[in-house]
Amino acid sequence: MATDRRSARRARLIGRAFIYGALIALAAFYLMPLWVMIVTSLKSLDEIYSGSFIGMPQAVTFEAWGKAWSTACIGTKCEGLQPYFVNSLMMVIPAVILSSGIGAINGYVLTKWRFRGSNIVFGMLLFGCFLPFQAVLLPMAQVLGRLGLAGSIPGLVLVHTVYGIAFTTLFFRNYFITIPDELTKAAQIDGAGFFRIFFSIMLPAALPIIVVSCIWQFTQIWNDFLFGVSFTAGESSPVTVALNNIVNVTMGRKQYNVDMASAMIAAIPTLVVYVVAGRYFVRGLTAGAVKG
Amino acid sequence: MRRPLTFKDRLAALLPKLVLSPSILAVSVGVYLFIVWTAAISFSSSKMMPRFDFVGLDQYVRLWSTPRWITAVENLFLFTALFLAVTIAIGLFMAILLDQKIRAEGVLRAIYLYPMALSFIVTGTAWKWIMNPTLGVQKVVNDLGWTSFTFDWITRPEVAIYCVVIAAVWQSTGFAMAIFLAGLRGIDNSIIKAAQIEGAGLTRIYLAIIVPMLRPAFLSVIVLLSYISIKSFDLVLALTNAGPGSATEMPSTFMFSATFLRNQMGVGAASAMMMLMTVAAIIVPYLYSELKEDRNGH
Amino acid sequence: MSKVTKFLMATALVLPLASTAHAEGKVEGIHHWVSESEVGALKVLTDSLGAKGFTWEDSAVGGLSGANATQALRTRMAAGNPPATMQLLGYEGVEWANEGALRSLNEPYAKNGWEAAIAPAILPFVKAGDDYFAVPINMHRQNWVWANKAVFDAHGITEPKSWDELIAAGKTLKEAGVTPIALSDQSWQILEVFEAILTDQNGTDFYRKAVIDLDEAALSGPEMLKAFDTLGEVRGLVDAGYTGRDWAVATGMVASGEAAMQIMGDWAKGEFLAKGMKPGVDFLCFPTPAATPNFKFVIDSFGTFGNEDPAITAGQDAWVETVMDAENQKNFNLIKGSIPARTDVPVDDFDDCAKRSFADREAAVAAGTMVGGLTEGFAAQPQFAGVFFDVVGQFFVTEMTSQEAVQMLVDGINNAR
Repeated sequence: MATDRRSARRARLIGRAFIYGALIALAAFYLMPLWVMIVTSLKSLDEIYSGSFIGMPQAVTFEAWGKAWSTACIGTKCEGLQPYFVNSLMMVIPAVILSSGIGAINGYVLTKWRFRGSNIVFGMLLFGCFLPFQAVLLPMAQVLGRLGLAGSIPGLVLVHTVYGIAFTTLFFRNYFITIPDELTKAAQIDGAGFFRIFFSIMLPAALPIIVVSCIWQFTQIWNDFLFGVSFTAGESSPVTVALNNIVNVTMGRKQYNVDMASAMIAAIPTLVVYVVAGRYFVRGLTAGAVKG
Repeated sequence: MRRPLTFKDRLAALLPKLVLSPSILAVSVGVYLFIVWTAAISFSSSKMMPRFDFVGLDQYVRLWSTPRWITAVENLFLFTALFLAVTIAIGLFMAILLDQKIRAEGVLRAIYLYPMALSFIVTGTAWKWIMNPTLGVQKVVNDLGWTSFTFDWITRPEVAIYCVVIAAVWQSTGFAMAIFLAGLRGIDNSIIKAAQIEGAGLTRIYLAIIVPMLRPAFLSVIVLLSYISIKSFDLVLALTNAGPGSATEMPSTFMFSATFLRNQMGVGAASAMMMLMTVAAIIVPYLYSELKEDRNGH
Repeated sequence: MSKVTKFLMATALVLPLASTAHAEGKVEGIHHWVSESEVGALKVLTDSLGAKGFTWEDSAVGGLSGANATQALRTRMAAGNPPATMQLLGYEGVEWANEGALRSLNEPYAKNGWEAAIAPAILPFVKAGDDYFAVPINMHRQNWVWANKAVFDAHGITEPKSWDELIAAGKTLKEAGVTPIALSDQSWQILEVFEAILTDQNGTDFYRKAVIDLDEAALSGPEMLKAFDTLGEVRGLVDAGYTGRDWAVATGMVASGEAAMQIMGDWAKGEFLAKGMKPGVDFLCFPTPAATPNFKFVIDSFGTFGNEDPAITAGQDAWVETVMDAENQKNFNLIKGSIPARTDVPVDDFDDCAKRSFADREAAVAAGTMVGGLTEGFAAQPQFAGVFFDVVGQFFVTEMTSQEAVQMLVDGINNAR
C-alpha cells in the first residue's frame, strides 16, 4: 500500500514536472523576440551598429524610449508617437463600439428573429471577411471621396466598421444561439418589443462575448496599417502609420533602438487590453464563441 | 378573432430586417460591389489607375505565366497547411497543459497571448535577427560550444518559407490556445473522472474523448487561422520581404506589388480574383454545411 | 442585392466630391523621407517656404522604397483628394502627367531659365510632351564603390579599374579573412551591383538598348550572360550572414573594417560621415570600375497636382520656387548627401566624394554617358524593372545558371509587355 502510494505520488510529481517544464520552455520561446526587442531598445545606436544585435547591452540607456514617445521625427514634425496615439484612440474607440454594437444586433436578429434567407445573409456577411483588403483600397477610396470622408478619421472609422461587421456578427450569432428561444418568446408574450428584449435580456447576458468581440476588434483595428495609410493623411494618421515612418527608413540610417521602443509603446494599449481582459477573454470564449 | 394589422404591427414585423439593412448595405458595397469592380479590372488593361476596357483573359494568362505568382500560390498552400497544423497542435497542447490547474496560469496565458498585440512591422525585425545565422540562434549555440549546429533556413530559398511559418505560429498560437482552453473549460470534469475510473490513461482520454468534444472550438480556430493566413502580409514584408529571391512570395504581397509597385493593376486584380475563388471554394462549402446543420438542428 | 447596389451607386454619384477644404497658405506634401538626415534636409526647404509666408503640412509615408507613399497617393487620387505636392520617383510623375493630373510648370521654367540649369538626361522624368510637370531637388549617383582605406592599404589594394580587377582584389581579401563585399539578399541591393556590372562592361549604349528599350536581342545576348557570370563571381565574395541585411548595416561593416567594399548609391556616404570618418583618409569612394566612365543618376522631384483653389495654387507656386532655389539646393544636398539637381550650384562647400560626383556628372553630360538607375526606377518602366528584380534576386540566392537567368529574364520581360 505505502509503496504504491509513494510510486503514484512520484508518477504524479514527474507528470507535474513535465507539465511545468513544457510550459516554461514554451514561454521562453514566446518571450524570445520580446527579449530581443527590449534589449535592443536599451542599447545605444552605436553599440548596435558595431554588431551587437542580440546580446546584453553594455550600457543601459532609456534614451530610445523617450525619443520614441516625444521627440522622434515623423516627417518634419518631431513630436514622437504621442499625437498619433490620440488619433488611434479616436479611431479605435468609435470603430470598436460601432462594429461590436452592429454585430450584437445582427447576431440578435439572425438568431431570434429569423426570416427566410437569414442564413444566406449571414453567409454573405461572413464571406466578406475573406476579401483581400489590398484589392478594395481604390474602390473604397472612391466611395469615401464621394461621401466626403476622404483623408479623415471618420472615414477610417467607417471602413473599419464595415470590415469588422463580419467577425462581430459571427461572434454574437454563435453566442446568442445558445440562449434558449423560450426566453425571448416569453418576453414577447409579456409584451416586450424588439429593442426592449435586446437591451434588457440579450445584452446583459452577452457580457462575455462583448469582451471577446471588443478585444478582437481592438487588436485588429489598432494594429491596422493598410487602411490607415490609405485613408488618412498627415496629422490625422493613426499610430501604426507613424510607427512605420519611424521604422521603415529606406535611404537613411535605421535607429533600431528607437524602432523597438516605438513598437512596444505602440503595442501598450493592446497589451493592456490582453492582460487586463485576458481572463474575461477566455471566459467569454468559454461562454459562447466556440459553440457553433 | 384576429385584429387587423396596424402600422405599428407592420413596423414591428419589418423591424428585424430594417435593423439588419445597414449591414447588408455596407457589405453589399464594401464586399460584393468591390468584388465586381475587381473582376471588371481583371478583364481590363488597367496599369497604374483603373481603366474600364475589355481585354478578355489577357491578365489571367499573364498572371499564370509569372513564375512569382506560381511560387506565391504554392507558398500559400504550404504555408496555410503548416501554419494551421502547427498552430493547432501547439495551441491545443498548451491549452491542455494550462488546464491542469497550473499556478501562475494568468502570467503564462499573457505570455502566450502577447504576440498578437504587437505590430509585425517591428517584431519582423526581431525575428530576422534571431533567424540570421551570423547574429541569432545559430551564433549563440555555436558560441556555446556546439560548433556544427546550423539554423540558416532564412538564407535558403527552398526552406525560407518555414521561417515565415515559425513567426506566424509564434504570433497566433496564443489565440488558438485561448479558444481551446475555453473549450476545455466547457467540458464537464466528471467525464474525465469516469474514464479514469475505468482505467483509461490520461493521453487516451484526451485523444479519444476530449479532443472530439472540442469540435466547435476546432472550427472556430480553423476559420480564424485561415483568415489570418490569407491576410498574412505585414508578416512576410517585415520578415523576408518575399525573399530570398522571391522564395517567400505570398498572394497578398504579390497583389500589392503588382498593383502599387509595378503598375500592373490588371494583373493584381486577376490575382485578387484567383484568391477569392480559392477562398470561396474552401469556405462556401463549409459555411453551407454549418448553416444547413443549423437549419435542421437547434 | 442589385437593387441595393444600384441605389447606393446612385447615392454616391449624387453626393458632391470631397471638398478639398485646405486652409489658407498651406502646402500639403506627401513624401517618403523619414530618416533623420532626410528630414533634416527637407526642413531646409520647408523653412524657406515658411519665410515666404506659407506653412508646410507634412504627410510623410515611409517604407518599401516609396511604395507605401505611392499607394497613399493613388488612394487619395481615387478619392478625389490630391495633395498639393508629391515627391516623385521614376515613372510615377510621368504617368500622372500623362493622366493630366499634374499642373504644367512651363511658366516658372521659362521665367527662371531652369531648363538650362538641369542635365538633359533627366528631362524624361520632369517633362512629358511639351510640359514640365516636376522640379528636381537633388541627384544621387547610384554606381559608387565605398571602401575602407585601412583595409585596402593593409592588403595592398588600390582602386580597381575593371570588374576583373575588383573581383581579383576581392579574392585576395577573402583569403586574408576579410569579407570582400558587404551585401544583402535584398533584391534591390543585388540589382544595383548587377546593373553596374552590365553598364560598366558594355557601355551606356548597350544599357539603354537592353534596359530602357528592352531590345530582345540585347537582353538575350552574350553581354547579358557575361554580366550574370560576373554577378556569380561577386556572390562568392559575400559573407554567410547576408540575409535580410539592411544596406546601412552593410555600410557599417565597411566602416568598421569587417568588410572591404560596398557597392551602393551615395546615400551611403552619410554613414561614414556620421562616424566622423573622412573621405580619402578613412574611407574611399570611387565609381564602379568601367572602361568608359558612366554616371547613373537617381533624382527626387516634386510635382504639383491640378486644383481649382487659388490658395493652393499660390502655395504650389511658392513651393516650386523654393525647391529650385540654388541656395536651397545647396543646403538641402549638403545634408542629404546627394548633389544639387541644378548643375550651376557651386561645389566649394561639398566634400570630396560629392566633388567627384560633380566632375563626373559634367563629364558624363558632355560624353552622353549619363543614364538613369534601373534599381531606383529611372530606366525600365516599373512592370519591367520588377522582372529584373525577380531574376537577379533569385539568381543570387539559388544555384541558377547564367543561361537560365537570361532565359527567365527574356520570358519575364515578354510576359510583362
